[in-house]
Amino acid sequence: MDFDLTEEQREIKRVARELLAARSPLSRVREAAETGAYDQALWREIVGLGWGGIAVSQAWGGQGLGGIELVVVLEELGFACAAAPLLSTAAAAAAIDACGSDAQRERWLPGLVAGDLRAGVGPAALALDGHGADVAVVLDGEGAVLVAAPESEPLETIDPARRFAALARSSVAGGEPLGAGAADLIRMSIAAEVVGLCQRALEMTVAYVGERRQFGVPVGSFQAVAHRCAEMLLQTESARSAAYHAAWAAGAEPTRLGEASALAAAAAATAAREVPASAIQAHGGIGFTWEADVHWLYKRGEVDRALLGGAGAHHARLARAAAARLAGGSP
Amino acid sequence: MDLTFSESELAFRDDLRAWFRAHAPAPEPQGDELAHFCWRRDYQRLLARDGWAAVHWPARYGGRGATLTESAIFFVELGRHGAPMMANVLGLLLAGPTIMSWGTDAQKERHLGPILTAEEIWCQGFSEPDAGSDLASLKTRARRERGHWVVTGQKVWTSGAQHSKWCMLLARTDPDAPRHKGLTYFLMDMEQDAVDVRPLRQITGSSEFNELFIDGAVISDEQVLGGVGNGWGVALTTLMNERAGLAFFLQVRLRQLLDRLLREAADRGLLADQAVAERLGELHVRAEVLRLTAYRGLTTVQKYGQPGPEGSLTKWMWSDANQRLTQLAADLLGPQALAAGGSWGYELLRARGNSIEGGTTEVLKNIVAERVLGLPKSR
Ligand SMILES: Cc1cc2nc3c(=O)[nH]c(=O)nc-3n(C[C@H](O)[C@H](O)[C@H](O)COP(=O)(O)OP(=O)(O)OC[C@H]3O[C@@H](n4cnc5c(N)ncnc54)[C@H](O)[C@@H]3O)c2cc1C
Repeated sequence: MDFDLTEEQREIKRVARELLAARSPLSRVREAAETGAYDQALWREIVGLGWGGIAVSQAWGGQGLGGIELVVVLEELGFACAAAPLLSTAAAAAAIDACGSDAQRERWLPGLVAGDLRAGVGPAALALDGHGADVAVVLDGEGAVLVAAPESEPLETIDPARRFAALARSSVAGGEPLGAGAADLIRMSIAAEVVGLCQRALEMTVAYVGERRQFGVPVGSFQAVAHRCAEMLLQTESARSAAYHAAWAAGAEPTRLGEASALAAAAAATAAREVPASAIQAHGGIGFTWEADVHWLYKRGEVDRALLGGAGAHHARLARAAAARLAGGSP
Repeated sequence: MDLTFSESELAFRDDLRAWFRAHAPAPEPQGDELAHFCWRRDYQRLLARDGWAAVHWPARYGGRGATLTESAIFFVELGRHGAPMMANVLGLLLAGPTIMSWGTDAQKERHLGPILTAEEIWCQGFSEPDAGSDLASLKTRARRERGHWVVTGQKVWTSGAQHSKWCMLLARTDPDAPRHKGLTYFLMDMEQDAVDVRPLRQITGSSEFNELFIDGAVISDEQVLGGVGNGWGVALTTLMNERAGLAFFLQVRLRQLLDRLLREAADRGLLADQAVAERLGELHVRAEVLRLTAYRGLTTVQKYGQPGPEGSLTKWMWSDANQRLTQLAADLLGPQALAAGGSWGYELLRARGNSIEGGTTEVLKNIVAERVLGLPKSR
């Protein structure tokens, strides 16, 4: 039993944290949101580092690492709230690599990893980076379908630092079903991003309430504020436990990935809303301004929650699976 | 990351499972508190006879020198096999480890054996009527008189005192010292006239805890633990052990209760209702996240030697989940869950104590905010 990252994984996380802190401070996120365009220089650098193919086999140009490395990098993407199409690319590539046919792998993976092709992911009505995508992995019920060059309409959401699209039903209907597990890998990836953005919201809040003074003392010394921060930690760590568990299952026990990923999705969907909302509240009026930057986290959190399909459906699915297992008599 | 057990951990678990299968616990006595205590004591004796009562203790004190993971496995299996928590849980998890850390050789020699075999039961005399969350304000006084200590004061909420031979007693020896400095940790013999144990009736109707009226109890110098004036430091050792040890047992019990509710809900066809399935699933997520976070905490302690944020969170997560679970049972099962003397009704009421015993949730949040997040001390 060892529920911790390895030295190498910590190193990947540290490098990602440092690079994104240097290249993608929140001022750049705001710029991307205001201009409505991704940070292309950042994206080229990310492609150069091979993060889009971190969990893709070397045979297809990837790094040949696993679910844990994927989760760790996406966690840092979330922490930075970076404006680059990494989540869509890395999640789609991991799903195609793990669950696609050889033909699909050959057709899509080398191009995605090299940054020459663009991928969309998500439900048809809310496909992240789906507009003009070369390929989309569409979440459809509990499964996923691969759609080449989907027809789409761009969709503006409350998160202007990201591009979304509504995919035409007709092109999704013509998609090729991906093997079991593709949807799980996509949800696990989104959940990983949520862990990072919650961690950022928590750290920004702790720093702020330690500095900001009212009534002659730091506002963080008021228990209502301090307890709110403790709740934020609880939610963040809950989402992290579940996301890391799913990442481990993806590599070590794929038969458990379905439930592990539903668990991660449920915990993330809850945290994605609560933690950034608390961050805004604890910042007071400043937190409600465009300048203060906590709102980017709230916006990403709400939209990620929708990408995950909310918490309720995962809760219900998990309860029914647990009841079925009990009825079957296994422990 | 490897969330499976190693070969030696699996071997440990298999041995343990074989033992539990060969020693199925007698049916749990209902209603009678003393019978229930004896059931737990007898089972502990059986465990102790075969070296299973305190796997986390070093071998020279009758344990197995088990790793933290093995110790977690022990508590998980204990829960899974429907075996009772050891009658001397406070002795095994609190008094024993505190004596191992601070005790003299003579104290270890005298006390550890009878703790293990449940010959001598222990209770924890910390809380007082005016000192609960603010433990350091306690007033029970120990004075020097003719070469020994004489104690006067009152303790409250003392679980298991009615069965106890010994009490971990925190008392004030120097009223003029700063409040954390004037305390001493005593091992007090409960079998003396000056110690009066009066049961307190809990909201469940039963009496797990008591009041302790102490009027001139005598304690010798040999029963001071960790030095005069050092009581706060010693008490912290006890409190640290309190949070770590029980987590896995409680987590398994939560899981079993949830499984029972899932079964009963499925039998009534309630899972077809989406709203019901969602509420049950929300608890399933809480139970699983608690389990995973407890294992993460274990790895942190094992690798880095000190607890990470996970340790402070799990007791809070557990009490919250257990309370929600028993309330959901009341919502879903209706009058049946609320019948007097029924087990769901008992669980519903007993769960209210979860967020108070062993440190209230509010106090745990203060600890998380101040020690884990480094926020300024709260007001
Ligand atoms: C079932 C059970 C078994 C117990 N067994 C034992 C035992 O064996 N031995 C023993 O010594 N004790 C035992 N206790 C006592 C337990 O440790 C105390 O009840 C607990 O520490 C709270 O103290 P209190 O009851 O005085 O409440 P108080 O401290 O008076 O608290 C009252 C309320 O105020 C809140 N509060 C207090 N201080 C703060 C603060 N700083 N910030 C925010 N809120 C605050 C509390 O959270 C609570 O809601 C047991 C309690 C229970 C319920």
